[in-house]
Amino acid sequence: MKKGKNTLFAYAWSAPSLFLILMIVIFPILYTAYISMTNMNVYHWNNYEFIGLENYKDALLVLDNGFITALFFTVLWTIVNMVLQVAIAFLLATLLNIRKLKLRNVYKTLLIFPWAMPGYVSILLWKTGMFNSQFGLLNQWLQKVGFEPVRWLNSNGMAFICCTVVNLWLALPFMITIIDGALQSIDKSYYESAMLDGATWLERTRYITLPMIKPIIAPSVIITTFTTFKQFDIIYLLTQQVGAKTGAEIHTILTYAYEKAFITNNYGYSSAVSIIIFIMLIVFSSVSNAEPKKRGNN
Amino acid sequence: MSRKIKEKIGLAVVNLFFIVLCFGVLIPVLYAFSVSLNADNSLLSSDFSFLPKKMTLNNYKAVFFEEPILLWFKNSMVMAVVALGISLGTGIPAAYAFSRRDFPGKKAILKMLILLYAFPSLLSMTALYKLLSPLGLINTKIGLIIVYTGTMAVFALWNMKGYFDTIPKEIEEAAMIDGATTTQLVSRIVLPLAKPTIAVTAMMILIYVWNEYIFAINFMTGSDTYTLAAGLYSLQATEMSGSWPVFAAASIVVSIPILIVFFALQKNMTTGLTSGGVKA
Repeated sequence: MKKGKNTLFAYAWSAPSLFLILMIVIFPILYTAYISMTNMNVYHWNNYEFIGLENYKDALLVLDNGFITALFFTVLWTIVNMVLQVAIAFLLATLLNIRKLKLRNVYKTLLIFPWAMPGYVSILLWKTGMFNSQFGLLNQWLQKVGFEPVRWLNSNGMAFICCTVVNLWLALPFMITIIDGALQSIDKSYYESAMLDGATWLERTRYITLPMIKPIIAPSVIITTFTTFKQFDIIYLLTQQVGAKTGAEIHTILTYAYEKAFITNNYGYSSAVSIIIFIMLIVFSSVSNAEPKKRGNN
Repeated sequence: MSRKIKEKIGLAVVNLFFIVLCFGVLIPVLYAFSVSLNADNSLLSSDFSFLPKKMTLNNYKAVFFEEPILLWFKNSMVMAVVALGISLGTGIPAAYAFSRRDFPGKKAILKMLILLYAFPSLLSMTALYKLLSPLGLINTKIGLIIVYTGTMAVFALWNMKGYFDTIPKEIEEAAMIDGATTTQLVSRIVLPLAKPTIAVTAMMILIYVWNEYIFAINFMTGSDTYTLAAGLYSLQATEMSGSWPVFAAASIVVSIPILIVFFALQKNMTTGLTSGGVKA
């Protein structure tokens, strides 16, 4: 009796929220799956036809369509950014934890400033303020010391570096905060006894610090890996705004899906790409959720 | 003695490093700030300095009087408040039910919510457009509010559920024995205890609507219906070089409220978000 009432209560209280999610989130995803099996595009906006898995074949099997390239780029982008991010954040957090550093909190406040700025504003400021080839600050400086101005965002390699710099600028504050918190949670007595045994800094880092902070920072690192993999704003705003494409042809899978839908108006194909990305995200998140449990059992 | 000196030198080097680093990190923002205040339009001249020789507020005046920024601000606020009201109004009871009761399908729904949270709403933009357009909701506030509310409903439910889980049940059980009804329980005991998560969730929704530009520029066609983010985007997209000082000023204006909110809630931000296991 009580249990039935409980269940009814729970359903009644969560119904409005779940209904919203069903209608606004789940239904469009299912609809995307449906569109992905049609030839909907700018010529067939209403009179589209069902074409089965054609779009999926185009995306996965035809290399020239660019999806595989974008996927490869996205993986490279994610690896490079995550390695740099964790390594730099670890170094900076370690330096911030030097015992006699009195101004620590001032530095921390200033360093997390990029996190506090609205992300898209920062990206646009980087684009116009720093990278602009005429009046960007970087080129002003270059010209001052007698170099030729550089077109920062026009070639793939340079654009990749610029996007990485901006991504690090945006993402490091969070990572530093997390690692800094993890470092502070380590009991100092471990280090004291290691010092007595004559362990060097490298040894202490390897045998005490890293194993201790790993479980603490793991969830944040996993979440950030997902955000990096799903990066859209930086690449889009820096290099491929409508009417202001810079010439660099780098695509994460998200900017690729967006371009296919809203620039070249190939809705069916773009939807197929969206569904493929969604399936990949599902697989990744179930793998990353399963792993900590396995470790726990050992 | 020499060890002490060595230590001091090391410390000085680290301090110097951080001072340079902090300044370097802030350069893009400082530069925009200085350009926005600069009176002589010396963008192309090479003797640029971070402290402009002649200051002016003309760029800020232009932002407020020549651009419809107040209208965009109003649009953003209306959408944010409505999206906030709906997502919290539906999210709080749902989060409470998911945290406190066991019912068939709960685990499956929670798992599905994680997956939905991983799904970038950008990817279903075509479908949303195609669904909203026959209803006449493209280029209307309601259309965008629907999109924002759905995205944030998943976040609100999941984030607040995580926090409710950390509130001990014993307090509620004691109140139950005293004969409190569930509604009393929630409004008098749970909500006051859950204030931090509600504040953070509300802030995240506001910030999301404040910062979202890609749906806004695709779903809104006239500049009078733009949100702040879409407006700022359009400012930098048109006549780039001429309007850069104005754009810089607008960027500062748009960022200040977010900066204030961030630093005011900074402590809650880190704990309130990491405990829920999600990051925006």
